[in-house]
Amino acid sequence: MKKIQLKLIIPLCLLLICAVYACKKSFLDKPALGQIDPALLSNKAGVESLLIGAYSELDGYGGKGAGQSAAPSNWMFGSITGGDAYKGSDPSDGANDQTPVATFNLPASNSFIVGKYASLYDGVQRANDVLRGIPNAKDLTADDIKRISGEARFLRAYFFFELRRNFFMVPYVDETIELKDAGSVKNDKDIYPMIEADFKFAMDNLPETQPQRGRANKYAAMAYLAKVYMAQAKYGTETKNLLTTLMTSGKTAGGQKYALNDHFQQNFSPEAGQKNSAESVFAVQASVNDGSLGNNSNQGDNLNFPYNGGPGGCCGFFNPSQWLANSYKTDATTGLPLLDDFNSGSPVTDVTYTGTLDPRIDITIGRKGIPYLDWGPHPGDAWIRNPGSDGHFSPKKNVYSKSEVGTNTSTENTWTSALSTSNNVNLIRYSDIILWAAECEVETGSLATAMSLVNQVRTRAGIQSGWVYLNSPYDASKSIYTVQTTPAANYKVGLYTVFPDQAYARKAVRFERKIELAMEGHRFFDLQRWGSAYQAAEINAFFASDKSIDITLKDAHFTQNQDEYRPIPQAQIDISNSKGPIVLKQNPGY
Amino acid sequence: MLLCCLVSSLVVTAQTKYKGKVIGSDDKLPIIGASVRIQGSTTGAVTDVNGEFTLTLSPGQTLVVSYIGYQSQEVKVGASTTLTVTLVAGSNALNEVVVTGYGSQRKKDITGSVAVVNVANLKSVPGGQASALLQGQAAGVTVINNGAPGGNSAVRVRGITSIGNTNPLYVIDGVQGNFNDVNANDIESIQVLKDAGSAAIYGVQGSNGVVVITTKKGKSGRATISYDAYYGSQKPLSNGFRMAGSQEYADAIQRSVGSVQYPGTGGAILKDYITPTAANEGDPGTNPATYNINSNQITKTNKVGTDWFHEVFKSAPRTFHNITASGGSDKSNYLMSVNYLNEQGTLLNTYLKRYAMRVNTNFAIGDHIRVGENAYLYHKDNPQITNQNEGNAISYTYRQPPVIPVYDIAGNFAGTKSQGLSNSSNPVAIQTRAGNNKGYNWTMQGNVFAEVDFLKHFTARTSIGGTFTNYYYYSFNPTSVENAEGNTNPNTFQENAGFSSTWIWTNSITYNQKFGKHDVKVFLGEEAKNYNQRGLRAGRSNYTVATTPVYVDLDTGSPSGQSNQNIDINYLRLYSLFGKLDYAYNDRYLLSGTLRRDGASVFSPDHRYGTFYSVTAGWRISQESFLKNVSWLNDFKLRGGYGELGSISNIEKFNATNLFAANPQNSYYDINGVGNAATLGIYRSQIGNLLTSWETDKVTNVGFDATILNNKLEISFELYKKDITGLLFKPDLADPQGGANPAYVNGGNISNKGIDFSLTYHGNVGSDFKFDLTGNITSYKSRVVSLPDGKKYYDFTSDGSTRIGAFTRFQPGQPMGEFYGYVVERLFRDAADVTGSPTQESAAPGFFKYKDVNNDGKITPDDRTFFGNPNPNFTYSFTLNATYKNFDANAFFYGSQGNKNINYVKYWTDFPQVFKGGVTKGILANSWTPTNQNATIPVLTAAANFSNTAVFNSYYMESGSYFRLKNLTLGYSIPKSQIKQIGVSKLRVYLQGSNLFTITKYKGLDPEIQPSNLDKNTSFGIDFGSYPANQKVYLIGVQATF
Repeated sequence: MKKIQLKLIIPLCLLLICAVYACKKSFLDKPALGQIDPALLSNKAGVESLLIGAYSELDGYGGKGAGQSAAPSNWMFGSITGGDAYKGSDPSDGANDQTPVATFNLPASNSFIVGKYASLYDGVQRANDVLRGIPNAKDLTADDIKRISGEARFLRAYFFFELRRNFFMVPYVDETIELKDAGSVKNDKDIYPMIEADFKFAMDNLPETQPQRGRANKYAAMAYLAKVYMAQAKYGTETKNLLTTLMTSGKTAGGQKYALNDHFQQNFSPEAGQKNSAESVFAVQASVNDGSLGNNSNQGDNLNFPYNGGPGGCCGFFNPSQWLANSYKTDATTGLPLLDDFNSGSPVTDVTYTGTLDPRIDITIGRKGIPYLDWGPHPGDAWIRNPGSDGHFSPKKNVYSKSEVGTNTSTENTWTSALSTSNNVNLIRYSDIILWAAECEVETGSLATAMSLVNQVRTRAGIQSGWVYLNSPYDASKSIYTVQTTPAANYKVGLYTVFPDQAYARKAVRFERKIELAMEGHRFFDLQRWGSAYQAAEINAFFASDKSIDITLKDAHFTQNQDEYRPIPQAQIDISNSKGPIVLKQNPGY
Repeated sequence: MLLCCLVSSLVVTAQTKYKGKVIGSDDKLPIIGASVRIQGSTTGAVTDVNGEFTLTLSPGQTLVVSYIGYQSQEVKVGASTTLTVTLVAGSNALNEVVVTGYGSQRKKDITGSVAVVNVANLKSVPGGQASALLQGQAAGVTVINNGAPGGNSAVRVRGITSIGNTNPLYVIDGVQGNFNDVNANDIESIQVLKDAGSAAIYGVQGSNGVVVITTKKGKSGRATISYDAYYGSQKPLSNGFRMAGSQEYADAIQRSVGSVQYPGTGGAILKDYITPTAANEGDPGTNPATYNINSNQITKTNKVGTDWFHEVFKSAPRTFHNITASGGSDKSNYLMSVNYLNEQGTLLNTYLKRYAMRVNTNFAIGDHIRVGENAYLYHKDNPQITNQNEGNAISYTYRQPPVIPVYDIAGNFAGTKSQGLSNSSNPVAIQTRAGNNKGYNWTMQGNVFAEVDFLKHFTARTSIGGTFTNYYYYSFNPTSVENAEGNTNPNTFQENAGFSSTWIWTNSITYNQKFGKHDVKVFLGEEAKNYNQRGLRAGRSNYTVATTPVYVDLDTGSPSGQSNQNIDINYLRLYSLFGKLDYAYNDRYLLSGTLRRDGASVFSPDHRYGTFYSVTAGWRISQESFLKNVSWLNDFKLRGGYGELGSISNIEKFNATNLFAANPQNSYYDINGVGNAATLGIYRSQIGNLLTSWETDKVTNVGFDATILNNKLEISFELYKKDITGLLFKPDLADPQGGANPAYVNGGNISNKGIDFSLTYHGNVGSDFKFDLTGNITSYKSRVVSLPDGKKYYDFTSDGSTRIGAFTRFQPGQPMGEFYGYVVERLFRDAADVTGSPTQESAAPGFFKYKDVNNDGKITPDDRTFFGNPNPNFTYSFTLNATYKNFDANAFFYGSQGNKNINYVKYWTDFPQVFKGGVTKGILANSWTPTNQNATIPVLTAAANFSNTAVFNSYYMESGSYFRLKNLTLGYSIPKSQIKQIGVSKLRVYLQGSNLFTITKYKGLDPEIQPSNLDKNTSFGIDFGSYPANQKVYLIGVQATF
């Protein structure tokens, strides 16, 4: 008996001892699967990949704060808040997050500003990670370093510019600030000088063309620097020189000389052969069916399609306002916009409206009876989710044609597949540059030059092959309506013959921006840079005019010295100030 | 000491074969399967079919004879080699041996907090999910169920121990495993280890409590075969959501947002058709010849109103068959069971089908070696629905307007794709189309083990076990052309597969010896655990040739837009050393201590090891001489203890390190500008934290167990305090720190205090009528004590799809999960009321008047306050078991008292402007109008703003208390004399009804509401239209033993 016991005990003990040893430290060392150790990134491939990661944050999807609020198109923060459009959908939809933005009843906890703020800083941080990585990557050449740091600083400046014009006083963090300290940086400085420095660096270091056309090049940086100057109302020589260089020798990353596309519609085409055109100074590249489940598409605009039967089938947001539609009225004889009286007289309606109109209206706004790309005539209210608060128009610039379904829209397995498109988000179009130049001329130069610049833009609008025609199929490969017999409306667009004085010229240039760049996220920021009083007057006039159509505007009001900027998200103030010292201060008025 | 043991174990005495027989005091019949053990050793036998056993014994030894339902008895071995032991019947469970952490103990020796579940009661509730059956069965355990077949339960042992997952650790036959799918019929016993004293032996895995399950083993004697079956039906709730019919709905829409569908003034006119929009018979587009599903889907108005609830909730059958074969000798035993469960859900096309098999065998090799295995295999087919979500079929039953019929004129599904109808989907269409979706799971769990007794008092044991699961599910999603939304989405197919495996290797040594009045038990163990999970998902779309399940697979879909991802890559390793010491003096003074050291791969090497311990003591006062003569007091034990436990339930797989990742969705970009291909990019995915370590629970437990009145009444009462320190929180990073996922940090404490009380009374009236009455009360208070440095509160948004922001604020001093928002005082009565009230955005007559909490004359976010606690004051249950001659009855009542629910369904049904969905019945009469100023529902208006729908407020809160008859069973056992000749030893038939009534003031479907995410405890008691758990079930069943 005892023998048996020993026979068993000894091996058992050995087994236990072995187990104890075998299970020592190495057993618990389990590396993180499917993740990348930072050490693996210390080379050119790693840094280049981090740079792509920073670019990928341009679309406001896939990072912190991702969502429609972070859309680079600024449909909410630039267009709706500038009077281009209504929020749309049912009144209750977004009553908690979107309506407060649209009506300037913003609590600092609003989720839409929370998302926007977070997403932009995620972009900043990704750009900083590229810059942090460069010194460790020993296989980078001097040219690589110039280009990569130029692109990274371009992107950082872009994100900070968005932060600056939305949130005013924001903390500035660059690659020298360690992550753990980034939450303790105060928002006590105007960050425009840093943004300018980054864009200047990018301008000085980036090549004129790039092997990939989605990258920022020298001229994109130059254009952004000009945009930053314009935002500060710097209309002087420095700005003008930049704009002149851009107009004389600017070219796209792909090497095309900047020019206006003959067909206005081409700027809004998701078609691979149409986008990234000579007019596209810098755009957020959108792609579909690339394995990202729609996240690399123009996802930020995924609510902004007609409701029910049309393209997308959802969600009936972002309906162009009556205020905007009326802006396309032209003088029946001169074809010039009604700078002062656009909103009086009979409102612009559907295909039955007989007054003269700027043809850009029907590229910008979906109106009943007018061909809606190749989806047939817009059926009117059948595509409007709630006519009692959304008006009667649909957005159009971000929409794809029926022939593009499945190629330029997602077929991946998501709820938004019909709403995810490869429509690039134009951050700067060439007409933007021309109109800035015109503005500079109005403020500090020649009214005649200003006029000729505005007329460049209007000339393109007048190119008849770019108009919309009744009963005419839309050809997505050329961005035109091909049987061009009956224009869809009584289009008349004329050129200015004289800018009699500065005030008129200013009005004309500003109005041209409104109708050329409508629904592209610019209006609020244009009003912002034109001064608080002007902004308040414009926006409150819009509210007064359109609150009878959009009932959610009933309590809307733009308050000067407050609503020019959004509040810093309350949670961010709480987090940063939680350790005692005051780090973040709220913007005025909130 | 050790030397002592060795010496004493070497004493060899003369041994002789003894024969014995065990009979019961009640019927004088042999007891089959009674345990006969030589005291101080693990050697023993089990009585055979004649109640007999054979053992090699020597005089002077003591035999301990025990059997469930009888009092254990100790018998001194004398000279006579034949023994007859008469066990006294009685439910005095004190001597009952219950399985606890890594071992077993007599109930009377237990000093920690161990709740013994009455398995017979547990099994009386029919249901496929074992964890759901725990509800009301053990004091201190709160279980919240839902009605989805195969739906998991929220189980909380003693309060809320984490903001994340609070599922207890399930240990089945000594190995951690999945309890949910265990066949209830296989269960022999369940114990719940609630405090540190009992659970600290599980160290870092013990903080949510440990449920120890033992499955049945074969008993020596001739083979028996038993057959259990039931068949029955579950009935949908008769009231549903109490929705308005078409006319009232249309009137409500007209009075609020309006819709082109319902013209007229002062009362909506219901037109004949909804598609074409508001058309009448004969209007253009109504001719059936012009029908086109895409462009002219002709749909008639349902002028009465579609009862969407009862269109998708139907009576559902359920079937269960189980065959168990078992038997054995004193050297080996076996048990094999096979069973089939088919539980259809009342919601169309929801079901759980499970095919399971268990094989448990044990072999003794010689007198000192035992080997055995427990194996459980099952296959289940259980497609899941996402519960508690605005986008599931249940929610669509209140969101889909009643004017829409189920089918259009051509027999296709009708829907909202016409003007002014809502954004809802047809729930019948959703559930019908889901009919071909499958969710399969293959699981094997169990262990093999070997035990060796050596040196008389030692037993060594090794066990290797684990769980291996393969899961597999796929779904086809056709284009729902009838809906307002998504009608142009391509059809899509998605297929997912993955596996997870856990192996656990446990080695232990037990030493047990008595020295006079000293009883010492020492246990030492070592355990390694490895968990590994991987899965993948692929999707295709644009199926054009056909959309039938025989055609649709990953190859037949369009290659463009295909997607493939890894999902659920997860892993964990744990290595642990542990020990336990139990000491009893004179059966009177009990002392016990445990110690466990765990190492976990998720933490940095410097913070990876944690030590957990407990000390408990008990005093059986009734054994003291001054109480020995108190005749009504059979037993009284005071006990208490303190200890620490840990938790890593909520940590991610690699918390310590800084990481980068590449992911098409997060970091790829189309840098080439081609529109359909993205270039790989990398982003910072995690900011690691080297300092993060365990969540630690500090538990103090005191209580007493008393058995009085001639063993008729058993009482157990416990008080506890459970402080969770170093709670794992995801810190809020400041946005300038970027978008990387912050690692968990230890910060913040929760405190739980509570009372567990249980009472059992065994009574009889005459000899024919016997009854047991059991009651449990569970009461806990979970409070937030502190949060990470500088953090004043967290607002937690529910994982259900809230459209009005967060419901819950997590703030020190407040209960876990307390509702936070504006308090609605009442509705503004009129314009004067508005002007006379504090300034409030969008205030108007008939809108909510919020309470000015800080009395500053205006309503601002500072006026939000805590207004309701979703935690019950207590939950309670009563069980009555009675037998009269051959009849038996079981009644099980369960209740929850004092908890508040948020009936978020009202957001959809009380405000027609919210997407024009269905409205609650009576909305016209009960909403505010100038002549109905004391209305309960706000004014019907198009506006949606701060003063009605835009913010969370107390309007949605209702009492969630309820009292329910969970189960009533009536059984009849056919007298043995009548069935003996057909070879049946036992035959019982029964009728059973579940959820026969619920008393509640709650207006939703079911006051019992699960969290929308069972892995989070931040936001709960919120009803998005949960799959109801209170539907009536009627069954007829049979149990037979051959």
